[in-house]
Amino acid sequence: MTEILGRRPALSFLICVGLFLLTLVLPLNDYVLHILTLSLIFAIFASGWNLTLGILGLKTLGHHAFFAIGAYLSAIAAFYGGVSPWLTIWVGAVLAALAGLLIGLPILRIRSMPHVAIVTLAFAEIVRLIFSNLKDITRGELGFWGIPPFDPVSFGETTIRFGLGNAWGSFILVGLFFFAVQGGLLLLLRSRPGLTFAAIRDSEAAAESLGINFGAWKLAAFALSAGIVGLSGAIYAHYVMILTPTSVAGPEMLITLLAIIIVGGAGRFFGPLYGALLLTGSLELLREFGDYRMLLYGALVIGFVFVAPQGIAGLKFDRLRRRRGHGTNESSSSA
Amino acid sequence: MTAPLFLEMAINGLISGSIYALVGSGIALVYGTTRVLNFAHGELLMIAGYLVLFFAVTLGWNVLLASVVTLALVGSIGAAIQRITIAPLLAREDWAFRVIAATIGLSIFLQSGAQIVWGEQFRTLPYFFDGVVSLGGLRMPVQRLSILVIALLLMGLCALVLYRTSLGRIVRATAQDAEAALAVGIPAGLVHTSVFAISAVLAGAGAILLSPILTVNPWMGVSFLLKGFAVVILGGLGSFGGAVAAGFLLGLIEAASVMVLPTEWRDVVAFTFLIAVIWVRPNGLFAGREA
Repeated sequence: MTEILGRRPALSFLICVGLFLLTLVLPLNDYVLHILTLSLIFAIFASGWNLTLGILGLKTLGHHAFFAIGAYLSAIAAFYGGVSPWLTIWVGAVLAALAGLLIGLPILRIRSMPHVAIVTLAFAEIVRLIFSNLKDITRGELGFWGIPPFDPVSFGETTIRFGLGNAWGSFILVGLFFFAVQGGLLLLLRSRPGLTFAAIRDSEAAAESLGINFGAWKLAAFALSAGIVGLSGAIYAHYVMILTPTSVAGPEMLITLLAIIIVGGAGRFFGPLYGALLLTGSLELLREFGDYRMLLYGALVIGFVFVAPQGIAGLKFDRLRRRRGHGTNESSSSA
Repeated sequence: MTAPLFLEMAINGLISGSIYALVGSGIALVYGTTRVLNFAHGELLMIAGYLVLFFAVTLGWNVLLASVVTLALVGSIGAAIQRITIAPLLAREDWAFRVIAATIGLSIFLQSGAQIVWGEQFRTLPYFFDGVVSLGGLRMPVQRLSILVIALLLMGLCALVLYRTSLGRIVRATAQDAEAALAVGIPAGLVHTSVFAISAVLAGAGAILLSPILTVNPWMGVSFLLKGFAVVILGGLGSFGGAVAAGFLLGLIEAASVMVLPTEWRDVVAFTFLIAVIWVRPNGLFAGREA
């Protein structure tokens, strides 16, 4: 477990919360807050995907489908149904989780990585095409605009507004979602399910011989992961307030998130956060070199796979492990 | 449905199916021999498209010469990709996923590289063959029919080499057990590289055949990669013959779907078919001998 969570996960988590609170009092301009908000949304996405890709070791490549499902279905419910986004995001998340079950059932029976990778990728393509083709509802590639932002919240005199253009409120909101998801995942991974996931990743056969019903566990983890990604998509929809099928479910989304996970550290709890902050930030810095952005992402993925396959989070862990001497702390902190 | 309409649908299905078969059989050959999924396979198509465009249009070479040079270059590029990015990863732990991640990175890298070098212009080659064949009230340009014929010839040649020559036996032996093959003196590493080169040539041939009827652009490989993967899964992972058969089947299914539904739903039907098959027959439609 130390390998996944790091040495003191609860402490690291509290430090992250502290840093977040610190950012709130800093005089940051709206543009920086916007980038941090996007980073946190992608960090939620990446944490959800990391659950199957890194922690459970299921090589799924179609999680942008769940992002799109969460985003579009929540947006459709809010736009056409007039329901508050505070409620519709949960609809988006639950439907994404159901879609995860639907696609998880056939592929998780097969212990074949290529099947899982290709079928999930094909599923993402189906989802992208459906949202693109249902032009009457989604306006296709023209873009689904006019998605309502989260309703404002009032505390006595002060009203906090959300959505693009209300950088401060959006940042707080997305931060709260991020820490809720991370906190929940941390609790989950530190309890019995976390150990079960690690056991399944390390050896399916051994885990099964210990009486783990691993089909059900894998399916549950897959649905949970799809639900988290769907939630991040729904939050994204009500933040940017415009969606196109290519922007949420196209190949660029796949490579962006894959880069975030690989650069941050696949299978490391804090990897997605590091990756999302670093890559979303650098992406904005490189905005004027728009054409070279995907070139850089491709090169980054290749480079990290070769040089630092454990990502940034892994580098830190390796150094810690080397400094303190390996075997001793492994047993003491892996509870 | 009238007979000529049905015939047209069947021939169109077989034509696009032959491209899927070319791409898919290359992927199957590589997977069957090396257990590697190459996500940059589609970009070999794209590179071949640009190369043949350069030789045949920019330099004005004869089409046959341009095609042969293109295939030779694409084969070498395929071999280079295997040597430089894939072979070094195979020795490491968790290599299967690292190869997927690295080749996805390579795929995006090549796409945006092509976009920077050649721009976003969409270009086509002039037809290689003139003339139209009349077939029972149905008129078909020779150019389109030639795709089917040439693809069949190429895949037949490949099957002949795989199953009837000693080179093919070496490849199949390596596929069964690379270490055992090494023990009896087969240079397994070299076999792996040449299999990549062969699969790149198959993809390149697909691109050359397509370039007069489709546009050459940086993203032309993406949809064919997905179709190629679908074909490989449908045909039974790693089976050369299965991939060829599944390629034609997928082409026919798409052609039939276009008769009933608007064109933009074609790929939805194709991939839904894939997922439906995985529900019922996880090992593919034609689980047969491995390449």
